[in-house]
Parts: sequence; C-alpha cells; structure tokens
Amino acid sequence: MAGALVLAAGACLAAAVAAAAWLAHARSPGTVPVDGPAVPAAVRQTAGFRLAGVIAGLAAGGAAAGQDALGRGLLLAGPVFGLCVLAGVVAGEISVRPAGGRTRTAAVEVRRVRDYLPRGLAAAVTSAAAVLAALAAATTATAGPDDLGRAGRVLLLSCGPDAQQTYGPWPGSFYTVPLAAVVAAGLITGGGALRVVIRRARTGADADTVAADDALRRRAARTITGACGILVALPLAGVCLVSAGALLSLSCRPAWFTYAGWALLALLILAVALMSWCAAVLLAPARAAARPAR
Amino acid sequence: MTGRPLLTVDTGNPTPPYEQLRRQLAELIQSAALAPGDRLPPLRQLAADLGLAVGTVARTYRELESAGLVSSRRGGGTRVLATAPSLSDSERQRLLRHHARAFIQQATLLGADKQQILSAITQALAT
Repeated sequence: MAGALVLAAGACLAAAVAAAAWLAHARSPGTVPVDGPAVPAAVRQTAGFRLAGVIAGLAAGGAAAGQDALGRGLLLAGPVFGLCVLAGVVAGEISVRPAGGRTRTAAVEVRRVRDYLPRGLAAAVTSAAAVLAALAAATTATAGPDDLGRAGRVLLLSCGPDAQQTYGPWPGSFYTVPLAAVVAAGLITGGGALRVVIRRARTGADADTVAADDALRRRAARTITGACGILVALPLAGVCLVSAGALLSLSCRPAWFTYAGWALLALLILAVALMSWCAAVLLAPARAAARPAR
Repeated sequence: MTGRPLLTVDTGNPTPPYEQLRRQLAELIQSAALAPGDRLPPLRQLAADLGLAVGTVARTYRELESAGLVSSRRGGGTRVLATAPSLSDSERQRLLRHHARAFIQQATLLGADKQQILSAITQALAT
C-alpha cells in the first residue's frame, strides 16, 4: 500500500506541475500594463525579489522534505516554500520607493485589500484552509501512539473485544502540531504581506502611473494568494492521501471508512487542482487581472 | 482609482506640510468634493504616499477634527462629518478667484501670455 501511495503522490505532483506549466503557457498576453514605462524600476525590483523568493522556497522546501524520514519534512515542504515566496514579495514591496522631489502629490483614496485580491483564488484558498483545519482536527483526535510510543502517529481501530488494528503513518498530532504552527505562521505572514502591499507608497500620481501601480499591487496580491494556496494545498493533499490510504487499508474497517477514504481521494484531486492553479499563478504572475481596483 | 481629488505638498514652501494638507482637505470638505461619510485615507497610507512622517498627517487630521470637519474612530478610520460646514456661494467665489490668481501668477512666471493662459485652461477643461 505504501508503494501505491508513493506512486499516487508522484503522479499527483507530476499532474500538478504539468497543469501549472500548461496554465502558465496558456496565459493571455498583454493584460497587465505594468510593463509600460511608468514604473519600470518598481516592476524590476518586485519581480527580482519575487523570483528570489520562489527559488529560495524551492531550495528550502526541498531541504525540508528530506529532513525527516517519518514524513514530517515532506508535509512541511509546502508551507516552507510558501513562507519563502511571501518573504520575497514583502522584500520587493518594501524596496519600492515613493516618488521623491520637492512637490509630492497623493490622491484622496482608501486602498483596501479586497480591491486587489483575486477573488476566486482567494475564496478557494480560504476554503482549502478551512477544510485542512477541520480534517487535521479530526485526524488528530483519532490518532494514537505507535509501537515506539510516539504520540499521534497511527490510526487505532478496535476490531473486536480482544483485537485491535493499527495503521501508520496517520496524520495525528505527531504531524499536525508542527504543520499547524507553520501553516498558521504562513497565513499570518500572508495577511501581513497584503497589508504591506496596500500600504506602500504610490510611485506617482498621474493616471498612467496610478494604473500601472495598481496592476503591480494586484500582481503582488495574486502572488501572495498563490503562495498561501501552495502553503495550504500541499499539506492538504498530503493529509488526504495518507488518511485515505490508512482508511482503505484496514481489513476490519466499517463501511463508512471506505466511503470516507474515497471522499478523501476526491478531496485530494481538488487539492491537486488548487496546487496547479497556485503554481500557475506563481509561474505566471503577469496574468494579474486588468480589473481596475475600486 | 483615478478621478479622486489630489493633495499636493510642497516641502520647499514655508507653510508647514500639516497646514498645507489641512487647508486642502478643509477646502475639499467645504466644497463638497468630499461628501459627508467619505473616508479619508488611512494615516500611514497618506504619509507613505506623500513621503511625510505619520505624525504630520496625524496632526492634520487632529486639526480637522477640532474644526468639526471630520470624526476619527478606532477601527472606522477618519470620516467627513455630516455637520461639516459648507462653503457659502460668496466664499466659493472668493476661493475660485484666489486659485485663478495663483494659477495666473505661475503661468506668468513661465512667460505665458493671456492667450496661452486661456488656451491652457481650455485644454485642461477638455481633458
């Protein structure tokens, strides 16, 4: 069963990467006016920091994945990658300097996070975070210690008055506690990064610069949402895969274990789809919507 | 996000930046360019956009609040009050003439003649 799980995980990852590459390739050109001459320095700076964040995230996530033979590193790789991307976005936004000079001009406007967020992607990421929290709480509550006494590592099932079956790994507290800490840190960082994007100074006050600046903010908000999506969707896919494998492997399982196992596999497909979407956003940030912020 | 009223601060002007901002915001409120209930930009956002200290913008908002033009609430931002006094017609005319004189003065310093000044105004009105 373990071999099948690894095979399934590899297939999911390959599917996600292929879908992301296709989505990135299929992006419609020319929807973002940030490539114009209005804010070239800000575009270059933020793109450079964002790319550095993605590269650092791939390196740190890869390193994290190989850290723990019991699978915790693999579970934490997504959140670690997301945190690095967020750090890159924040560094890029902080590096943007306001228009200097003796005379400074600003519009009387209130910039709000919701004006720049990609609504569909943000709703999907929020839903995934809620599902991950609920699923992790359920698996943590039903976990037990393994044969070496490590709490929250296996699923215990009573098969009769004197018989008991165990299956591990199972996403109990051994996995979910560090996962919750890293995901919570990532989501809080994501919220803070969005505030930084909204609060940073305008690069100018004329209409063209404001339009380009708004597009730049939407691009940053989209990258942040994508990073949060990876941060949530990758562990969600992992928890779904491992939980489904455990539920479907116990020989004396009740009927509802089978239904729950298949439901988790269906959820796994949705998590992989979200991962693909977010990866495409990170690979092709220029697809930021041309929708003007209100 | 375009089409919103603009605020300008000249750091070389002997008038302190907080007072320059206060005058412009008071004019916008009294001329109803900012309607009752409209929210002013958050302190940190406006300070960042203008490259000013947050305390400078905070002082402007405090002065406007003391004058009964705006109200600040924690979590609700700073909003234009419904009871903010509006400009009378004569005061509006006086301000219009004041700004026109200031514009003409600047245009004359640039060497523009009467025809060029009128042409510039016509062009600006058309955009």
